[in-house]
Amino acid sequence: MRPHHKKRFRRRVKVCRFTVEKINYIDYKDIELLREYTPTNGKILPRRVTGTRPAFQHKLTRAIKRARFMALLPYTGA
Amino acid sequence: MPLYELGIIVDPEAPPEDEASTMERLEGIITDAGGEMVDKDARGRRQLAYPIKKKNYGVYHFWTFNADGEALDALNFEMRTNDVVLRSLILNMDRELRRKRKMDAKQAARAEKKAAKAAAKAEAASAVEEELT
Repeated sequence: MRPHHKKRFRRRVKVCRFTVEKINYIDYKDIELLREYTPTNGKILPRRVTGTRPAFQHKLTRAIKRARFMALLPYTGA
Repeated sequence: MPLYELGIIVDPEAPPEDEASTMERLEGIITDAGGEMVDKDARGRRQLAYPIKKKNYGVYHFWTFNADGEALDALNFEMRTNDVVLRSLILNMDRELRRKRKMDAKQAARAEKKAAKAAAKAEAASAVEEELT
């Protein structure tokens, strides 16, 4: 027998920030922005978590990797 | 001449006159090759996210300039061989911003179309109203 009550999840609707705010170029110097997509362990958050559109995720990863090269962001978490 | 953006990290422990002369020389390479400086942004001392050459701090400079490709080779060579420079990155901003300009234009066009449509609708509504009266 199945239980009658099913647990209901209410999923928060994720939105792509870059689409909404019309940020069409992601600068690697904009660390405040990039920080939001890199948790303290330094990894890049997947779009499955953040809801970022694929085109912007590409730009985002590029910007983050450039920022890492210029020692603005860490490669690994502290 | 394309627009380039240069990011550079200078050794903070180097004597200030060394830093000044290096930056001057780099600017000289650009201007001698017929390029022109557009913007100079000195961000100053900043903690590095990870040590480079056992240094925990770096002095950041960001420049934008117009130059020919040949100037970049000289620039890169100078930055690689100069011990004062810890790290550098040159981006072709024309290439970087091409996509942005395209998207901006597209969005502007879409917004215009939307506005035109709304205006047409309002006009039609007022016309109907006039007919009724």
